[in-house]
Amino acid sequence: MSSILEVQSINKIFPIKKMFKKPLDLKALSDINFTLGTNETLGIVGESGCGKSTLAKVLTKLEAPTSGSIELLKIKYPDYNPKDFHSHIQMVFQDPYQSLNPRKKAFDIIADPLRINTDKSEAEIKELVFVMMKRVGLREEFALRYPHHFSGGQRQRLGIARALMLRPKVLILDEPVSALDVSIQAQVLNLLLELQQDFSLSYLFISHDLSVVQHISDRILVMYLGRVVEYGSRDEIFNNPKHPYTQILLDSAPKIGFKSIATKNDVAPGEAPSALYLPKGCAFAPRCPKKTDHCVKSIPPLEDKYNRMVACLNA
Amino acid sequence: MKQFLKDLFFELKKNRGAMIGIVIILFSLLVAISAPVIAPHNPFLVNSDSLRLPPSFSAGGSKDFLFGTDDLGRDILSRLIYGSQVSLSVGFAVVVLSLITGTFLGIIAGFYGGFLDKSIMRLTDLIMSLPSILFAIVIVAVLGPGIVNAIVAVSIVAIPNFVRIIRAQVMVEKNRQYVSAAKLFGASNFRIMFIEILPNCMAPLIVQASLGFSDGILNVAALGFLGLGAQAPMSEWGTMLSDARSYIESSPWMVTLPGLCILVVVLSFNLLGDGLRDALDPRLKKQN
Amino acid sequence: MSLLIVENLNIHFKSDRSKDHIHAVRDLSFSLKQGEMLGVVGESGSGKSITNLALMGILADSAIVKADVAKFNGVDLLSLKEKAWQKIRGQEISMIFQDPMTALNPFLSVQFQMIETIQTHLGLSKKDAIDKAVELLNLVGIPSPKDRLKAYPFELSGGMAQRVMIAMAISTNPKLLIADEPTTALDVTIQKQILNLIKMLQEKNNMSVILVTHDLGVVSEYSERLQVMYAGEIIESGKTTDLITHPRHPYTHALLASRPGALVDNLKRMPKTPLPSISGIVPAFHQRPIGCQFNPRCEFVMTECQRSPIAIEVMEPKHREFRCIHPIQSGVIQ
Repeated sequence: MSSILEVQSINKIFPIKKMFKKPLDLKALSDINFTLGTNETLGIVGESGCGKSTLAKVLTKLEAPTSGSIELLKIKYPDYNPKDFHSHIQMVFQDPYQSLNPRKKAFDIIADPLRINTDKSEAEIKELVFVMMKRVGLREEFALRYPHHFSGGQRQRLGIARALMLRPKVLILDEPVSALDVSIQAQVLNLLLELQQDFSLSYLFISHDLSVVQHISDRILVMYLGRVVEYGSRDEIFNNPKHPYTQILLDSAPKIGFKSIATKNDVAPGEAPSALYLPKGCAFAPRCPKKTDHCVKSIPPLEDKYNRMVACLNA
Repeated sequence: MKQFLKDLFFELKKNRGAMIGIVIILFSLLVAISAPVIAPHNPFLVNSDSLRLPPSFSAGGSKDFLFGTDDLGRDILSRLIYGSQVSLSVGFAVVVLSLITGTFLGIIAGFYGGFLDKSIMRLTDLIMSLPSILFAIVIVAVLGPGIVNAIVAVSIVAIPNFVRIIRAQVMVEKNRQYVSAAKLFGASNFRIMFIEILPNCMAPLIVQASLGFSDGILNVAALGFLGLGAQAPMSEWGTMLSDARSYIESSPWMVTLPGLCILVVVLSFNLLGDGLRDALDPRLKKQN
Repeated sequence: MSLLIVENLNIHFKSDRSKDHIHAVRDLSFSLKQGEMLGVVGESGSGKSITNLALMGILADSAIVKADVAKFNGVDLLSLKEKAWQKIRGQEISMIFQDPMTALNPFLSVQFQMIETIQTHLGLSKKDAIDKAVELLNLVGIPSPKDRLKAYPFELSGGMAQRVMIAMAISTNPKLLIADEPTTALDVTIQKQILNLIKMLQEKNNMSVILVTHDLGVVSEYSERLQVMYAGEIIESGKTTDLITHPRHPYTHALLASRPGALVDNLKRMPKTPLPSISGIVPAFHQRPIGCQFNPRCEFVMTECQRSPIAIEVMEPKHREFRCIHPIQSGVIQ
């Protein structure tokens, strides 16, 4: 499988200025490496503050990484001209209420990427917009409506249509179904799966919902406080998680028909520390049931073990 | 936009004050437009045989002159009718000028931040640090008296209100995801500022514009009163007030009537502005 | 004995745009035993939150609440005057919300807000109230509770803020705790901590809990009984294990089957294959269909379903209830 997106040791540090104090470094991303193959889905899993949203911003050039390199179709990010870049990688946002301009009609929301980036006539654009609306399951008569006339699921379809107008190769999906009602989630997930085949898309699927990630991904990347803790194929990670954080994450996910009043030991005690004051060793050590003295001394490297990459000394 | 106006009018209908305001504004607009038809006399015609006649409904009045005549024997009703033309167009001019400049500066300040923002905001602070009428007087003193210069001066004084409102709104809107999405398909900064963000700042702008209307009318009238605005023989309510000053005790109607006109029109715009604010606020919250 | 009995609860809202009232909640009947946890599942617009607000007596003035019976601990809730409500609300029925950050006043310290609640309801001196607050924070698992009392809400994480809310809610030893999507805003590892905490308090204080959520997974692990709501009606209820493994109403069935991880009839769904999905959307308040509320989206719809409201069917032995003429006979979901 050829890779379409290669991310090499990117770091993102936000300096936090405080009055009368030395600025602190917020390490949002530390040494992130991964590749995304053609027509593949890489699921990125983690809780709030793990850096997955920052990663999405870096990958879409909304933020520049502090260091490291990203190659999209073998071309480094800084070498892209904006037009080519935007037509190769696009994004679908989490909140369909915030990501659509409330004062623009559905038609304009979908048509604008073409108007800005191509020389197509308005008639050609109109045809392309209607074809795309049909493809994502929006009726033609919706074209002149404003976002607040749409339901959450329809809005997300609009967001997907907008992202696909420039025929990108890579789509970054930032929690695309987590703001939707349960009965709507399956509709949108099915649509995403169909579109991936039709447009041979590569997905970077960011989510905190493990069952959704398991369903849609080929490979999984688990993040905790800005670092990759485990990275491998879906089945390896879900059937045989090795990092204690992945194990606890899988245990904590609500399961249906699984009669358990949770046992004490599958709950990670405490909460993630602030990314401003990371512990010296493994960031998960303070909550880890398997921690040893070594864990608090140095940051465990991401190692190739058990057919996956895992960053744990005791795995 | 059509739907927006429809919803707005629906909300507005529930507010009695705003509806009264709208009726009065529409009435004065009608009067201003049809002034040549409805004015009983030429407002500039001097009648040396009927100086300072009281209104027709009080003792000594003539039924020819419903609201009496002024010190030069000109019909006050006709002068008031023509005065509405001046006042309304002055209000309109002030709002358009200050709205366009203020919006432009406010968007740039809010969107770019940094040095540009600081410079623009310090400039508005400077304007706001003086009482507005005083600042307007300074500007007219520099430019010279006259209705056009008065409009320019009053507009400059009104700019900071617009800058502040727009800037605050832009600073909220620019962090919304739809702006990120626009950046992702390569929209230019100009496009993001004026096509994506600006339409989302309309609600507070509309409120401020309607309040700006009344401020504009009031300030230009004040300049006229001080002899710095409209010049004789133009019939402008502020200037009429000023001319009538010396007869305040002997011919009180000459002061009362133009004063009343200013009061009613300014009040109606304020009522409309408050109504708009009430109508737009919950809508804003619902959508955000 | 039942702590809470509700029979045929109907909630209408006056609308300023049309003369017709909006019928938000229709013929809701349920009961809750002392010490029992009831799970309520529904999507947005199902009426689950409105029902809770009605039980707390804090619905907006535009709401018209009617019921044949609405008794809490023997007291008729609908005849209560505001004064009497205040005694029950917060004392005997407490509520925690989805977003603890907005439920706490950002300008007041945790101590101030907790002490205020404790003093008004328990009539303790300030010093005793502080001791009580420390004890409560300790109980809900907040480390170094004495220091945390001085904190302001923005200094707390979402999980900590929810613990504070829970501590305040149980300070009066309420008989009933209504938890409205208490973990929706939280991470999964924190979600589990909070749910375990609620479960622990329920058992320790013999408190009844209504756990409202849109996530079937959350309730199915914790509540003994489950009630599924759709478009203002209860469409199915019963024992949790029974209901989620053998759903009878097509909506419940579809909801369970459309979850990415579900096993339907022991068939494991392969990743990246289409999920069975429910077409259409939940009807808006003013566009609700005639007959069965789910009929426009139901794959088994028949003409009878579109005629008149569907009555609740009761299956006595297992206390199963469902509102469907053609319930699903088999269809095991795990």
